[in-house]
Amino acid sequence: MSGATGQLLENLNALAGGLFLLAAFGMVATRQARGCLNLFITQSLLLAASAALLGLRYGSEHLYGVAVVNLISKPIIVPWLLRKTSPGEVYTRREVEQVLNIPTSLLIALALVVLAYFLGRPISNSVASQFRGPNIAIGIAGLLLGAYTLTVRREALPLLLGVLAMENGAFFTGIAISRNLPMLVELAIATDGLIVVFIMGVLTRAVQKHAGTTAVGELATLKEAAAESPAQAAKEEALAK
Amino acid sequence: MSVLIILLIPLVATALVCIPLKRAWPMAVTVVANAALLVLTTNIAWRLAAGGPFVSAPPVWMLKWISVDGLGALIVLLISLVATTAAIFSIGYLGHENLAPGKLRLYYANYNLFIFSMVAIPVLAEPTLVWIVVELTTLCSALLVSFDNTTEALEASWKYVLLSLLGAGFALFGFLVLFAAMQASGSSQPYTWSGLIAAAPRMPPVLLQTAFVFILVGLGTKVGLVPMHTWLPDAHSQAPSPVCALLSGVETTAILYVILRMFPVMQAAPNSHADAWAILLGLISVGTAAFLLLQVSDYKRMFAFSTVEHMGVILTAVGLGTSAASYGAMQQIVAHSVTKSFCFFAAGATLLVVGTREIAAVRSLIRRSPAAGAALVLGGLAITGAPPLAVFLSEFSILKAGVTQSRYIVTGLLAVFIVIAFFGIMLHVNRIVFGASDEDRTDGLEDKPIDGKKHPDTPSQQSNNPIIQQSVNPIPLSCKLALVLASVPVLLLGVYIPKPLHDLLALAAGALTK
Amino acid sequence: MFNRILFNLIQVLVVMAFAPLVSGILSRLKEMVQSKRGPSIFQPYRDLWKLFHKDEIVSEESSWIFRFTPYIVFVAPIFVTLLIPVLTNYPLFFAFMGDMLGGGFVLALGGFFATLAAIDTANPYGPVGASRTRMVGFLAEPVFMIVFFTVSFVAGSTIPYIVQAKWVTPMANFFAPSHVLLVLAFLMLILAEGGRIPVDNPSGHFELAMIDESKALEYSGRGFALMKWGGQMKMLVLMCIFLNVLVTPWGLAGNQTLGGLHLLPPVAGPDLRVAAVLLAVPLVALKVFCFLLVLVVIESSLAKLRLFRISEFLGAAFVTSVAAMIAQVFLP
Repeated sequence: MSGATGQLLENLNALAGGLFLLAAFGMVATRQARGCLNLFITQSLLLAASAALLGLRYGSEHLYGVAVVNLISKPIIVPWLLRKTSPGEVYTRREVEQVLNIPTSLLIALALVVLAYFLGRPISNSVASQFRGPNIAIGIAGLLLGAYTLTVRREALPLLLGVLAMENGAFFTGIAISRNLPMLVELAIATDGLIVVFIMGVLTRAVQKHAGTTAVGELATLKEAAAESPAQAAKEEALAK
Repeated sequence: MSVLIILLIPLVATALVCIPLKRAWPMAVTVVANAALLVLTTNIAWRLAAGGPFVSAPPVWMLKWISVDGLGALIVLLISLVATTAAIFSIGYLGHENLAPGKLRLYYANYNLFIFSMVAIPVLAEPTLVWIVVELTTLCSALLVSFDNTTEALEASWKYVLLSLLGAGFALFGFLVLFAAMQASGSSQPYTWSGLIAAAPRMPPVLLQTAFVFILVGLGTKVGLVPMHTWLPDAHSQAPSPVCALLSGVETTAILYVILRMFPVMQAAPNSHADAWAILLGLISVGTAAFLLLQVSDYKRMFAFSTVEHMGVILTAVGLGTSAASYGAMQQIVAHSVTKSFCFFAAGATLLVVGTREIAAVRSLIRRSPAAGAALVLGGLAITGAPPLAVFLSEFSILKAGVTQSRYIVTGLLAVFIVIAFFGIMLHVNRIVFGASDEDRTDGLEDKPIDGKKHPDTPSQQSNNPIIQQSVNPIPLSCKLALVLASVPVLLLGVYIPKPLHDLLALAAGALTK
Repeated sequence: MFNRILFNLIQVLVVMAFAPLVSGILSRLKEMVQSKRGPSIFQPYRDLWKLFHKDEIVSEESSWIFRFTPYIVFVAPIFVTLLIPVLTNYPLFFAFMGDMLGGGFVLALGGFFATLAAIDTANPYGPVGASRTRMVGFLAEPVFMIVFFTVSFVAGSTIPYIVQAKWVTPMANFFAPSHVLLVLAFLMLILAEGGRIPVDNPSGHFELAMIDESKALEYSGRGFALMKWGGQMKMLVLMCIFLNVLVTPWGLAGNQTLGGLHLLPPVAGPDLRVAAVLLAVPLVALKVFCFLLVLVVIESSLAKLRLFRISEFLGAAFVTSVAAMIAQVFLP
């Protein structure tokens, strides 16, 4: 691997990382559920691209395997599974009012990325130089942004995609620092992601059927002392009459 | 070889229950399969306790990652024990409802898959594979939690899945970093728990610490440690009672086992602060749960909070670090599993009898159903650590280990919280079982129809009205059988620990301390 | 020395001469996309000619600001042209006067006076447009800052001539995440600053929805011509900064290769030949035309955002620019 080509591959990998980060930001901020799905697919493609580029850079066939697994499972099977399991309504949903407004969300997301940098730096310093790279911090940022998506979203589909985005983030770091994981494990994790989609899709369908909405985050009947509230409400109603 | 059979039995059972035969078929298959599992795991545990070598599968292909040591055998034993009693309890619990055969098959198929995923946790020795089966436990049990298909159950299930997966994402990152640490140590050992311990002294401390914190927080979410516990009371109260017994009794324990596996690794590494983390999170969990227990209004929720408390106790005990404390923690794991499953059976029986989960709506249970009342009292006493029951003995040995170590503050706080939890639970149980009956209360009759509709746990309740409410549903025979079976270890382990079990506990505790 | 002064003047003349053409081509392309015939691409020249020959009406209520503003708006882009690489990849005579930040300030000065002038008359639509322009401006300002900071962070300088060389030496730098993301962020900025869709609709004639256009509503005759011409030049200058400094310096005198083939015999040091500078005119025009195609695609495929969604658009630009900076920091 000549220096110039290596430099080019590293820069392309870093570019994939930058766009990966941007896609993660987009998933925090996008209103449309459909847009969120597209961003997730983009993110997965970028993950696969990064794996392939690193594979090319360090001559690791194993990373090609990771790229192929990611290329097949996330951009193709996940949307297909979603269509099969979850109600079509989830695609059309928009979150007009998020828990936090979008600019605030983006600022918090930025703060999380800075945090990711501080988490990533010591890790980067203590691995061998061939494992270093922008992947470590960007992966952590992806993980944190995915987790943040989970906390601010209410719609079923963005929540589900947030879970998968977290996994993407963890993997984005993984392809840099632990690139010799057994292939079987990679396959199992990918399958696991598909089961996540399946189960959450089925749950979403059930929620939509029984609660009439896919805004699962707005379901909030279960709280401390929730069981008393209907009785209290009934009493208050009686008093009001 | 027997290890492989352990993994195969639940899978075969899953396949078998899917065959559309009579209603009794899936029930029988599940009970028989889990009983067989229990016999097998007892056999393995017995051999290990007698000083036998680690049980592993032949080292070919991916089977090289399968092996069971003392700690693993203990967890597997508990899982199969609770799985068996819960399978027996399920017969009566579900038979009581007029479920469609398809729904029944779905329940049992999920049940056996869930058992498979849990059994696989201690059996696998490769951390990333363990992560996968941990995630599988969530996914296999999600549909069990939402089995009743009420809005509340679905909400609980969704929260459960979402937060567990959130934690799982962090844990995945932790395991990947752990793998990187393993690589960085230059060790030629395989990436297994024992290989990790061997490589730990040469791992870069930063990587190891990062991995540990992410794994602790990530899996701690699924264990129900306090800042991340919010889903637990919902999921553990909305699921059908036998599933609750599994979730609370053994699932949390099995996940906690994975965290515990990290401790010897951390101890092998220089200046790690794993013990401090464990004590901190443990005490916070115990304390918060103890105070929350005082104000619960749902008796299944009450037992769910008690699970949070006990997980905290175990983690604190492990954090104390001595072999005596570790032994106590192992004892506590056993005691908690058998007792908590019994508690949820008792709660399930009560639910069958009265048809509501609300504490305020149930009074003088002992008159309406002596069996359910007695079981609930026994369960309440047992789980809060009243002597001479199993939890008392284990908590006592943990506190003793703390005092002999002169960790007075930790031990003192732990003792105070345990006492508060005792009062919290016994207050509610006392009200339910012995409190003034409905006839004495003026508003009791008004409340109930509302509550009945709010918590339709069983179809019999959907046609709920005050008259049916007053009549007492009998507890099915199989439920009674399960209660009796589950009560045996609760009563026995408080006064006598058999020699093989003692050896097994010592072996397991030995795996925890370096 | 003489050449450098001459080239500087050529630069200014090129920008002045071609700015109306660029806007003419852009509107023609848009009309074609919309299946209309549209006016000739030379229509902006005819408009300017016509306006220069018309009488000017100035409100009695207005102050000197109103009368001076057209000249400032007209001169500001010309000043910036002196500073930036339009035709050459080496600094010209007046380039020492300011860096990219300075150029940005000079452009902003024009905008500032246009805003003042809009408020100066008593026309109710003027202040509406002015306040909206300020809103967009306030939101765009931090993005500009981050872009410039990132540029200086990556290239170690904000002098455009140093920055443009950075992206292509070595060629791998072209694909650095900071470069690509910066380009994205700056593209969004151009859309916002130039009053293009999705931020503003330049061809809209509905006063209530106008952002940029309404500031010049009160002008007529020569004043209006200068305002228009100035606006067109500002757009071209922004494009030049974008294309020549941020994207690639290709096609400029000193960097005229096509697939490794030198279009003119190579010389050592700065390429001070007149032929090279003259050759740069069509090459840069080609780049601008390609950019116009991109712009047309963007303008035709997006809808104008609601006013309160503009903050989100610029928020996205902000995040992109910060991501560019962070990606640079993350590199080990």
